[in-house]
Amino acid sequence: MIAQAMPNSTEIITTLSNETSLIGTASTREVVQFFVLLILAYVIGLVIAHYLKLRLSHKLKSDQLVLLIRFVRVILILIVVSFSLPGLLDLSITILALVFVALVAIIGLSSQNVISNMIGGLAMLYESPFKSGDFINTNDVSGTVISTRLFSVLIRTTSGVYVQIPNAQIYSSDVSNYFAHVARRYEYVVGIRYQDDVKKATAIITRILEGYTYVLVHPAPEVFVNDIDADSVRVMFRVWFPSVWARTKDDISLQTAILPRVKAALEAEGIEMPYAHREILFTTPIVTQPGPGGK
Amino acid sequence: MFGRYERDFEYSDADVKLRIDRSGTIPVYTRDCNGAHVEKYLTGDYNAIHICPVEPVNLPEEITHHLEIAFPEIVLPPEVKQTIYLKFPVETGVFFEIHREMDVLDIFSFVPTRFSLYGRPDAGVITRWYRSDLYSCVPATDLHREGVLELALVNHCATTVEISRAVFDSHHMTIFYGERVGMTATMEVWSPAIAQTTFATTPPPGCPNRSIDLYTSQKFPVGPMKGYMMESGMT
Repeated sequence: MIAQAMPNSTEIITTLSNETSLIGTASTREVVQFFVLLILAYVIGLVIAHYLKLRLSHKLKSDQLVLLIRFVRVILILIVVSFSLPGLLDLSITILALVFVALVAIIGLSSQNVISNMIGGLAMLYESPFKSGDFINTNDVSGTVISTRLFSVLIRTTSGVYVQIPNAQIYSSDVSNYFAHVARRYEYVVGIRYQDDVKKATAIITRILEGYTYVLVHPAPEVFVNDIDADSVRVMFRVWFPSVWARTKDDISLQTAILPRVKAALEAEGIEMPYAHREILFTTPIVTQPGPGGK
Repeated sequence: MFGRYERDFEYSDADVKLRIDRSGTIPVYTRDCNGAHVEKYLTGDYNAIHICPVEPVNLPEEITHHLEIAFPEIVLPPEVKQTIYLKFPVETGVFFEIHREMDVLDIFSFVPTRFSLYGRPDAGVITRWYRSDLYSCVPATDLHREGVLELALVNHCATTVEISRAVFDSHHMTIFYGERVGMTATMEVWSPAIAQTTFATTPPPGCPNRSIDLYTSQKFPVGPMKGYMMESGMT
Protein backbone atom coordinates (compact mmCIF):
# COMPACT_ATOMS: atom_id res chain seq x y z
CA MET A 1 0.00 0.00 0.00
CA ILE A 2 2.77 2.40 0.94
CA ALA A 3 4.68 1.59 -2.20
CA GLN A 4 1.58 2.38 -4.24
CA ALA A 5 1.01 5.70 -2.46
CA MET A 6 4.61 6.85 -2.81
CA PRO A 7 5.38 8.52 -6.15
CA ASN A 8 8.20 6.93 -8.06
CA SER A 9 11.30 8.84 -9.14
CA THR A 10 9.98 9.42 -12.66
CA GLU A 11 6.84 11.07 -11.29
CA ILE A 12 8.91 13.34 -8.97
CA ILE A 13 11.14 14.43 -11.85
CA THR A 14 8.05 15.05 -13.98
CA THR A 15 6.43 17.11 -11.21
CA LEU A 16 9.61 19.15 -10.70
CA SER A 17 10.06 19.66 -14.43
CA ASN A 18 6.47 20.94 -14.64
CA GLU A 19 7.19 23.47 -11.83
CA THR A 20 10.70 24.40 -12.84
CA SER A 21 9.82 28.02 -13.44
CA LEU A 22 11.63 29.03 -10.29
CA ILE A 23 11.72 32.67 -11.26
CA GLY A 24 8.60 33.64 -13.12
CA THR A 25 7.93 36.84 -15.02
CA ALA A 26 6.78 39.18 -12.29
CA SER A 27 4.76 42.16 -13.44
CA THR A 28 5.67 45.68 -12.44
CA ARG A 29 2.54 45.79 -10.31
CA GLU A 30 3.65 42.74 -8.32
CA VAL A 31 7.14 44.15 -7.79
CA VAL A 32 5.69 47.48 -6.60
CA GLN A 33 3.26 45.60 -4.36
CA PHE A 34 6.15 43.67 -2.83
CA PHE A 35 8.13 46.81 -2.05
CA VAL A 36 5.04 48.59 -0.74
CA LEU A 37 4.49 45.67 1.63
CA LEU A 38 8.13 45.87 2.70
CA ILE A 39 7.80 49.59 3.42
CA LEU A 40 4.53 48.92 5.23
CA ALA A 41 6.24 46.28 7.39
CA TYR A 42 9.03 48.77 8.08
CA VAL A 43 6.55 51.46 9.12
CA ILE A 44 4.54 49.04 11.25
CA GLY A 45 7.84 48.01 12.85
CA LEU A 46 8.52 51.67 13.71
CA VAL A 47 5.05 52.06 15.19
CA ILE A 48 5.44 48.88 17.27
CA ALA A 49 8.90 50.06 18.37
CA HIS A 50 7.41 53.37 19.51
CA TYR A 51 4.65 51.54 21.38
CA LEU A 52 7.14 49.18 23.03
CA LYS A 53 9.30 52.10 24.09
CA LEU A 54 6.31 53.80 25.68
CA ARG A 55 5.08 50.69 27.44
CA LEU A 56 8.33 49.00 28.45
CA SER A 57 10.96 51.72 28.82
CA HIS A 58 10.47 51.78 32.60
CA LYS A 59 10.55 47.99 32.86
CA LEU A 60 13.47 47.09 30.57
CA LYS A 61 16.94 48.50 30.28
CA SER A 62 17.66 50.34 27.04
CA ASP A 63 19.79 47.56 25.56
CA GLN A 64 17.13 44.95 26.32
CA LEU A 65 14.49 47.15 24.73
CA VAL A 66 16.61 47.65 21.63
CA LEU A 67 17.10 43.89 21.39
CA LEU A 68 13.36 43.25 21.63
CA ILE A 69 12.52 45.94 19.06
CA ARG A 70 15.08 44.60 16.60
CA PHE A 71 13.71 41.11 16.99
CA VAL A 72 10.12 42.23 16.35
CA ARG A 73 11.13 44.25 13.28
CA VAL A 74 13.14 41.39 11.79
CA ILE A 75 10.20 39.04 12.31
CA LEU A 76 7.88 41.48 10.54
CA ILE A 77 10.18 41.76 7.52
CA LEU A 78 10.56 37.97 7.40
CA ILE A 79 6.77 37.52 7.43
CA VAL A 80 6.36 39.90 4.49
CA VAL A 81 9.17 38.27 2.53
CA SER A 82 7.93 34.75 3.17
CA PHE A 83 4.37 35.61 2.08
CA SER A 84 5.18 37.87 -0.88
CA LEU A 85 8.26 36.36 -2.42
CA PRO A 86 6.73 33.04 -3.57
CA GLY A 87 4.04 34.89 -5.56
CA LEU A 88 6.50 37.40 -6.90
CA LEU A 89 9.00 34.82 -8.09
CA ASP A 90 6.27 32.38 -9.12
CA LEU A 91 7.52 29.66 -6.80
CA SER A 92 5.31 26.68 -6.14
CA ILE A 93 4.59 25.57 -2.60
CA THR A 94 6.44 22.30 -3.19
CA ILE A 95 9.59 24.03 -4.33
CA LEU A 96 9.29 26.55 -1.51
CA ALA A 97 8.90 23.76 1.03
CA LEU A 98 11.94 21.96 -0.36
CA VAL A 99 14.01 25.14 -0.32
CA PHE A 100 12.83 25.93 3.20
CA VAL A 101 13.71 22.46 4.48
CA ALA A 102 17.08 22.62 2.81
CA LEU A 103 17.75 26.08 4.22
CA VAL A 104 16.76 25.01 7.70
CA ALA A 105 19.01 21.95 7.43
CA ILE A 106 21.95 24.00 6.17
CA ILE A 107 21.50 26.78 8.72
CA GLY A 108 20.88 24.30 11.49
CA LEU A 109 24.06 22.38 10.75
CA SER A 110 26.36 25.29 10.01
CA SER A 111 25.08 27.85 12.50
CA GLN A 112 24.28 25.88 15.61
CA ASN A 113 26.25 28.29 17.78
CA VAL A 114 24.68 31.38 16.23
CA ILE A 115 21.18 30.06 16.76
CA SER A 116 21.86 28.87 20.29
CA ASN A 117 23.35 32.27 21.11
CA MET A 118 20.28 34.00 19.73
CA ILE A 119 17.94 31.72 21.67
CA GLY A 120 20.09 32.28 24.77
CA GLY A 121 19.81 36.05 24.24
CA LEU A 122 16.03 35.87 23.96
CA ALA A 123 15.82 33.64 27.04
CA MET A 124 17.94 36.10 29.01
CA LEU A 125 15.77 38.95 27.78
CA TYR A 126 12.76 37.15 29.20
CA GLU A 127 14.37 36.10 32.49
CA SER A 128 16.50 39.24 32.99
CA PRO A 129 19.15 37.78 35.32
CA PHE A 130 21.04 41.08 34.99
CA LYS A 131 20.81 44.50 33.39
CA SER A 132 23.40 46.77 31.88
CA GLY A 133 25.27 48.44 34.72
CA ASP A 134 25.06 45.40 37.02
CA PHE A 135 28.25 43.83 38.33
CA ILE A 136 28.22 40.12 37.56
CA ASN A 137 30.45 37.09 37.77
CA THR A 138 30.10 34.40 35.13
CA ASN A 139 32.44 32.01 33.35
CA ASP A 140 35.34 33.16 35.55
CA VAL A 141 34.82 36.77 34.42
CA SER A 142 33.83 39.52 36.86
CA GLY A 143 32.80 42.92 35.65
CA THR A 144 30.13 45.45 34.83
CA VAL A 145 27.67 44.58 32.07
CA ILE A 146 27.99 47.13 29.28
CA SER A 147 25.19 45.77 27.11
CA THR A 148 23.19 42.67 26.30
CA ARG A 149 23.09 41.98 22.57
CA LEU A 150 21.35 39.46 20.35
CA PHE A 151 24.29 37.04 20.35
CA SER A 152 26.56 38.11 23.18
CA VAL A 153 27.00 40.09 26.38
CA LEU A 154 29.67 42.76 26.68
CA ILE A 155 31.41 43.10 30.04
CA ARG A 156 33.96 45.59 31.30
CA THR A 157 36.16 44.07 33.99
CA THR A 158 37.38 46.10 36.96
CA SER A 159 40.76 46.35 35.26
CA GLY A 160 39.09 47.91 32.22
CA VAL A 161 39.27 44.90 29.90
CA TYR A 162 36.51 44.49 27.30
CA VAL A 163 35.11 40.95 27.36
CA GLN A 164 32.53 39.51 24.99
CA ILE A 165 30.78 36.34 26.17
CA PRO A 166 28.36 34.42 23.91
CA ASN A 167 24.81 34.34 25.23
CA ALA A 168 24.59 30.53 25.10
CA GLN A 169 27.66 30.27 27.30
CA ILE A 170 26.21 32.63 29.91
CA TYR A 171 22.76 31.08 29.80
CA SER A 172 24.15 27.60 30.43
CA SER A 173 26.40 28.62 33.32
CA ASP A 174 26.10 30.15 36.79
CA VAL A 175 25.67 33.92 36.98
CA SER A 176 26.18 35.91 40.19
CA ASN A 177 24.64 39.36 40.09
CA TYR A 178 26.02 41.46 42.93
CA PHE A 179 23.66 44.41 42.53
CA ALA A 180 20.34 42.78 41.74
CA HIS A 181 19.00 43.70 45.17
CA VAL A 182 18.87 47.10 46.82
CA ALA A 183 21.28 46.16 49.61
CA ARG A 184 24.27 43.87 49.86
CA ARG A 185 26.19 42.43 52.80
CA TYR A 186 29.98 42.52 53.12
CA GLU A 187 32.10 40.61 55.61
CA TYR A 188 35.37 41.64 57.15
CA VAL A 189 37.62 39.88 59.67
CA VAL A 190 40.26 41.30 62.00
CA GLY A 191 42.44 39.35 64.42
CA ILE A 192 43.22 40.63 67.90
CA ARG A 193 45.62 39.31 70.56
CA TYR A 194 44.53 36.72 73.10
CA GLN A 195 45.06 39.11 75.99
CA ASP A 196 42.87 41.85 74.45
CA ASP A 197 39.34 42.45 75.70
CA VAL A 198 36.96 41.00 73.10
CA LYS A 199 33.95 42.95 74.39
CA LYS A 200 35.87 46.17 74.17
CA ALA A 201 37.02 45.35 70.64
CA THR A 202 33.50 44.55 69.44
CA ALA A 203 32.18 47.74 71.05
CA ILE A 204 34.84 49.81 69.27
CA ILE A 205 34.13 48.19 65.90
CA THR A 206 30.37 48.66 66.39
CA ARG A 207 30.90 52.34 67.18
CA ILE A 208 33.02 52.81 64.06
CA LEU A 209 30.44 51.10 61.87
CA GLU A 210 27.55 53.08 63.32
CA GLY A 211 29.41 56.28 62.56
CA TYR A 212 29.95 55.39 58.94
CA THR A 213 27.37 57.01 56.66
CA TYR A 214 26.81 54.16 54.23
CA VAL A 215 26.51 51.34 56.75
CA LEU A 216 22.79 50.57 56.96
CA VAL A 217 21.01 51.00 60.27
CA HIS A 218 18.73 48.09 59.40
CA PRO A 219 19.86 45.32 59.05
CA ALA A 220 22.16 46.32 61.85
CA PRO A 221 25.88 45.49 61.63
CA GLU A 222 26.86 42.25 63.37
CA VAL A 223 30.18 42.01 65.22
CA PHE A 224 31.20 38.71 66.80
CA VAL A 225 34.08 36.31 67.41
CA ASN A 226 33.97 33.74 64.66
CA ASP A 227 37.23 31.88 65.26
CA ILE A 228 40.10 31.46 67.67
CA ASP A 229 43.12 30.44 65.69
CA ALA A 230 46.74 29.78 66.60
CA ASP A 231 47.77 33.43 66.58
CA SER A 232 44.72 35.55 67.22
CA VAL A 233 41.09 35.85 68.18
CA ARG A 234 39.30 36.55 64.93
CA VAL A 235 36.50 39.11 65.08
CA MET A 236 34.14 39.13 62.13
CA PHE A 237 31.82 42.00 61.25
CA ARG A 238 29.02 41.83 58.74
CA VAL A 239 27.85 45.07 57.25
CA TRP A 240 25.06 45.94 54.83
CA PHE A 241 25.54 48.66 52.24
CA PRO A 242 23.13 50.18 49.70
CA SER A 243 23.81 48.49 46.38
CA VAL A 244 23.32 51.74 44.49
CA TRP A 245 26.24 53.24 46.35
CA ALA A 246 28.32 50.06 46.25
CA ARG A 247 27.75 49.97 42.46
CA THR A 248 30.16 52.86 42.10
CA LYS A 249 32.79 51.16 44.25
CA ASP A 250 34.59 47.86 44.09
CA ASP A 251 35.29 45.59 47.03
CA ILE A 252 38.76 47.04 47.52
CA SER A 253 37.34 50.56 47.77
CA LEU A 254 34.94 49.41 50.46
CA GLN A 255 37.73 47.71 52.36
CA THR A 256 39.94 50.77 52.18
CA ALA A 257 37.05 52.84 53.49
CA ILE A 258 36.26 50.59 56.44
CA LEU A 259 39.31 48.62 57.56
CA PRO A 260 41.77 51.50 58.15
CA ARG A 261 39.24 53.20 60.44
CA VAL A 262 38.77 50.00 62.42
CA LYS A 263 42.50 49.42 62.70
CA ALA A 264 43.16 53.00 63.84
CA ALA A 265 40.35 52.89 66.41
CA LEU A 266 41.48 49.55 67.84
CA GLU A 267 45.10 50.63 68.09
CA ALA A 268 44.07 53.90 69.73
CA GLU A 269 42.43 51.83 72.48
CA GLY A 270 45.51 49.63 72.95
CA ILE A 271 44.14 46.63 71.06
CA GLU A 272 46.66 45.19 68.65
CA MET A 273 46.37 42.93 65.64
CA PRO A 274 49.09 40.31 66.10
CA TYR A 275 51.27 38.84 63.43
CA ALA A 276 51.80 35.08 63.19
CA HIS A 277 54.52 33.91 65.57
CA ARG A 278 55.81 30.61 67.00
CA GLU A 279 57.23 29.86 70.44
CA ILE A 280 59.80 27.04 70.25
CA LEU A 281 60.74 25.13 73.42
CA PHE A 282 63.93 23.05 73.50
CA THR A 283 63.87 19.97 75.71
CA THR A 284 67.67 19.90 76.01
CA PRO A 285 69.92 22.91 76.73
CA ILE A 286 71.48 24.45 73.64
CA VAL A 287 75.26 24.56 73.72
CA THR A 288 76.64 27.44 71.75
CA GLN A 289 80.18 27.31 70.42
CA PRO A 290 82.26 30.27 69.34
CA GLY A 291 82.60 30.64 65.58
CA PRO A 292 85.68 31.57 63.57
CA GLY A 293 87.62 34.39 65.18
CA GLY A 294 86.10 33.68 68.56
CA LYS A 295 82.78 35.30 67.63
CA MET B 1 19.53 82.17 56.19
CA PHE B 2 16.44 81.11 54.24
CA GLY B 3 15.02 83.56 51.74
CA ARG B 4 15.70 85.40 48.50
CA TYR B 5 18.92 87.31 47.99
CA GLU B 6 19.98 89.74 45.32
CA ARG B 7 22.88 89.05 43.02
CA ASP B 8 25.55 90.20 45.48
CA PHE B 9 25.09 88.41 48.72
CA GLU B 10 27.00 87.23 51.71
CA TYR B 11 25.73 85.30 54.70
CA SER B 12 27.59 83.99 57.68
CA ASP B 13 26.78 82.57 61.09
CA ALA B 14 28.46 80.18 63.47
CA ASP B 15 27.82 77.20 61.20
CA VAL B 16 28.18 78.40 57.64
CA LYS B 17 29.58 81.14 55.48
CA LEU B 18 28.03 81.72 52.04
CA ARG B 19 29.19 84.30 49.55
CA ILE B 20 29.08 85.29 45.91
CA ASP B 21 32.21 87.12 44.90
CA ARG B 22 31.69 89.26 41.82
CA SER B 23 35.01 91.05 41.91
CA GLY B 24 36.52 88.85 39.19
CA THR B 25 35.42 88.38 35.60
CA ILE B 26 33.25 85.40 36.56
CA PRO B 27 31.14 85.42 39.75
CA VAL B 28 32.22 82.78 42.26
CA TYR B 29 29.96 81.11 44.78
CA THR B 30 31.74 79.89 47.91
CA ARG B 31 30.52 77.95 50.90
CA ASP B 32 32.45 77.12 54.06
CA CYS B 33 30.82 74.76 56.52
CA ASN B 34 31.57 71.50 58.32
CA GLY B 35 35.25 72.12 57.62
CA ALA B 36 34.66 71.91 53.88
CA HIS B 37 35.17 74.63 51.28
CA VAL B 38 33.06 74.57 48.12
CA GLU B 39 33.69 76.91 45.21
CA LYS B 40 31.64 77.16 42.01
CA TYR B 41 31.95 79.58 39.13
CA LEU B 42 28.66 81.01 37.91
CA THR B 43 28.11 81.62 34.25
CA GLY B 44 24.94 83.12 32.82
CA ASP B 45 23.14 86.22 33.99
CA TYR B 46 21.25 85.13 37.09
CA ASN B 47 18.69 87.39 38.73
CA ALA B 48 18.73 86.24 42.34
CA ILE B 49 19.76 83.55 44.80
CA HIS B 50 17.21 81.55 46.78
CA ILE B 51 18.10 79.59 49.91
CA CYS B 52 15.52 77.25 51.38
CA PRO B 53 15.16 73.80 52.92
CA VAL B 54 14.88 70.97 50.40
CA GLU B 55 13.84 67.32 50.53
CA PRO B 56 16.35 65.74 52.95
CA VAL B 57 17.48 62.86 50.74
CA ASN B 58 20.27 64.35 48.66
CA LEU B 59 23.42 64.05 50.76
CA PRO B 60 26.14 62.94 50.67
CA GLU B 61 24.99 61.69 47.27
CA GLU B 62 21.68 60.72 45.76
CA ILE B 63 21.12 57.13 46.84
CA THR B 64 17.43 57.11 47.63
CA HIS B 65 14.35 59.29 47.47
CA HIS B 66 12.73 57.78 50.56
CA LEU B 67 12.85 59.28 54.04
CA GLU B 68 12.33 57.03 57.05
CA ILE B 69 11.67 58.48 60.48
CA ALA B 70 11.99 56.10 63.42
CA PHE B 71 10.32 57.08 66.68
CA PRO B 72 9.28 55.51 70.01
CA GLU B 73 6.55 52.94 69.53
CA ILE B 74 3.00 54.28 69.63
CA VAL B 75 -0.10 52.12 70.07
CA LEU B 76 -3.08 53.14 67.94
CA PRO B 77 -6.51 51.60 68.70
CA PRO B 78 -8.94 50.78 65.85
CA GLU B 79 -10.68 53.63 64.01
CA VAL B 80 -8.68 56.27 65.90
CA LYS B 81 -7.03 59.37 64.51
CA GLN B 82 -4.06 60.79 66.41
CA THR B 83 -1.76 63.68 65.50
CA ILE B 84 1.86 63.48 66.56
CA TYR B 85 4.87 65.68 65.92
CA LEU B 86 8.25 64.36 64.79
CA LYS B 87 11.50 65.98 63.83
CA PHE B 88 13.15 65.47 60.47
CA PRO B 89 16.62 66.45 59.21
CA VAL B 90 17.00 69.64 57.23
CA GLU B 91 19.04 69.92 54.06
CA THR B 92 19.52 73.40 52.67
CA GLY B 93 19.39 74.12 48.97
CA VAL B 94 20.93 77.11 47.23
CA PHE B 95 19.23 77.96 43.93
CA PHE B 96 20.01 80.56 41.35
CA GLU B 97 17.23 82.14 39.38
CA ILE B 98 17.62 82.75 35.66
CA HIS B 99 14.63 84.11 33.74
CA ARG B 100 12.21 82.84 36.43
CA GLU B 101 13.70 79.35 36.20
CA MET B 102 15.35 77.87 39.28
CA ASP B 103 18.47 75.76 39.11
CA VAL B 104 20.25 74.02 41.97
CA LEU B 105 23.60 75.47 42.85
CA ASP B 106 24.44 73.74 46.09
CA ILE B 107 22.97 71.54 48.79
CA PHE B 108 24.40 71.18 52.26
CA SER B 109 23.38 70.01 55.71
CA PHE B 110 24.61 70.09 59.28
CA VAL B 111 23.01 66.75 60.12
CA PRO B 112 24.94 63.49 59.64
CA THR B 113 23.33 61.10 57.16
CA ARG B 114 22.40 57.48 57.87
CA PHE B 115 20.77 55.01 55.53
CA SER B 116 18.58 52.00 56.22
CA LEU B 117 16.72 49.22 54.46
CA TYR B 118 12.94 49.14 54.63
CA GLY B 119 11.71 45.67 53.67
CA ARG B 120 13.72 42.78 52.28
CA PRO B 121 16.91 43.24 50.26
CA ASP B 122 15.20 41.86 47.15
CA ALA B 123 11.96 43.82 47.43
CA GLY B 124 12.57 46.70 49.82
CA VAL B 125 13.85 50.23 49.46
CA ILE B 126 16.87 52.07 50.79
CA THR B 127 15.83 54.98 53.00
CA ARG B 128 17.46 58.05 54.46
CA TRP B 129 17.07 57.18 58.16
CA TYR B 130 16.46 59.59 60.98
CA ARG B 131 15.66 58.98 64.64
CA SER B 132 13.18 61.35 66.27
CA ASP B 133 11.50 61.63 69.62
CA LEU B 134 7.74 61.70 69.79
CA TYR B 135 5.98 64.98 70.62
CA SER B 136 2.37 65.83 71.34
CA CYS B 137 2.84 69.49 70.35
CA VAL B 138 5.23 71.42 68.13
CA PRO B 139 8.73 70.98 69.60
CA ALA B 140 11.44 73.59 69.63
CA THR B 141 13.97 73.06 66.84
CA ASP B 142 17.18 74.42 65.47
CA LEU B 143 15.96 76.02 62.24
CA HIS B 144 18.97 74.95 60.19
CA ARG B 145 19.14 71.39 61.48
CA GLU B 146 15.66 70.08 62.22
CA GLY B 147 12.18 70.51 60.87
CA VAL B 148 8.85 69.55 62.42
CA LEU B 149 6.62 66.97 60.77
CA GLU B 150 2.98 67.07 61.78
CA LEU B 151 1.87 63.51 61.22
CA ALA B 152 -1.76 62.47 61.42
CA LEU B 153 -2.05 58.76 62.16
CA VAL B 154 -5.32 57.19 61.09
CA ASN B 155 -6.06 53.56 61.89
CA HIS B 156 -8.63 52.19 59.43
CA CYS B 157 -8.24 48.54 60.42
CA ALA B 158 -10.19 46.67 63.07
CA THR B 159 -7.23 45.86 65.29
CA THR B 160 -4.87 47.87 67.42
CA VAL B 161 -1.60 48.58 65.64
CA GLU B 162 1.86 49.49 66.86
CA ILE B 163 3.80 52.09 64.90
CA SER B 164 7.41 53.07 65.33
CA ARG B 165 8.44 54.21 61.89
CA ALA B 166 7.12 56.04 58.90
CA VAL B 167 8.51 55.97 55.36
CA PHE B 168 7.86 58.83 52.91
CA ASP B 169 8.49 59.35 49.22
CA SER B 170 10.33 62.64 48.84
CA HIS B 171 9.02 63.13 45.31
CA HIS B 172 5.79 64.32 46.86
CA MET B 173 7.21 66.25 49.79
CA THR B 174 6.09 69.82 50.30
CA ILE B 175 8.31 71.71 52.73
CA PHE B 176 7.46 75.08 54.24
CA TYR B 177 9.57 77.45 56.29
CA GLY B 178 9.22 80.53 58.44
CA GLU B 179 9.70 80.44 62.21
CA ARG B 180 10.67 76.83 61.65
CA VAL B 181 10.85 74.27 58.88
CA GLY B 182 7.69 72.20 58.65
CA MET B 183 5.73 69.58 56.77
CA THR B 184 2.31 68.05 57.19
CA ALA B 185 1.66 64.41 56.39
CA THR B 186 -0.87 61.67 56.94
CA MET B 187 -0.26 57.99 57.64
CA GLU B 188 -3.29 55.84 56.98
CA VAL B 189 -3.05 52.35 58.42
CA TRP B 190 -4.92 49.73 56.39
CA SER B 191 -3.68 46.62 58.18
CA PRO B 192 -1.07 45.82 60.87
CA ALA B 193 1.51 45.53 58.06
CA ILE B 194 0.31 48.06 55.47
CA ALA B 195 0.04 51.84 55.65
CA GLN B 196 0.11 54.72 53.20
CA THR B 197 1.88 58.01 53.78
CA THR B 198 0.95 61.19 51.92
CA PHE B 199 1.89 64.84 52.21
CA ALA B 200 -0.45 67.79 52.49
CA THR B 201 0.17 70.91 50.43
CA THR B 202 -1.19 73.27 53.06
CA PRO B 203 1.41 75.13 55.16
CA PRO B 204 1.65 74.24 58.85
CA PRO B 205 1.25 77.12 61.36
CA GLY B 206 4.31 79.35 61.54
CA CYS B 207 5.65 78.21 58.15
CA PRO B 208 4.12 80.51 55.52
CA ASN B 209 6.79 80.15 52.82
CA ARG B 210 6.85 77.21 50.48
CA SER B 211 10.25 75.79 49.61
CA ILE B 212 11.35 75.22 46.06
CA ASP B 213 10.63 71.61 45.15
CA LEU B 214 13.96 70.12 44.20
CA TYR B 215 12.54 67.62 41.74
CA THR B 216 10.40 70.21 40.01
CA SER B 217 13.29 72.64 39.75
CA GLN B 218 15.46 69.92 38.22
CA LYS B 219 12.67 69.14 35.73
CA PHE B 220 12.35 65.56 36.90
CA PRO B 221 9.04 64.03 35.87
CA VAL B 222 7.02 63.39 39.02
CA GLY B 223 3.83 61.37 38.80
CA PRO B 224 0.51 62.24 40.41
CA MET B 225 0.58 62.36 44.20
CA LYS B 226 -0.18 58.92 45.56
CA GLY B 227 2.18 58.85 48.52
CA TYR B 228 4.17 55.84 49.59
CA MET B 229 2.65 52.48 50.42
CA MET B 230 4.45 50.90 53.37
CA GLU B 231 4.02 47.18 52.83
CA SER B 232 6.74 45.84 55.10
CA GLY B 233 5.36 46.74 58.47
CA MET B 234 5.43 49.76 60.75
CA THR B 235 7.70 48.58 63.57
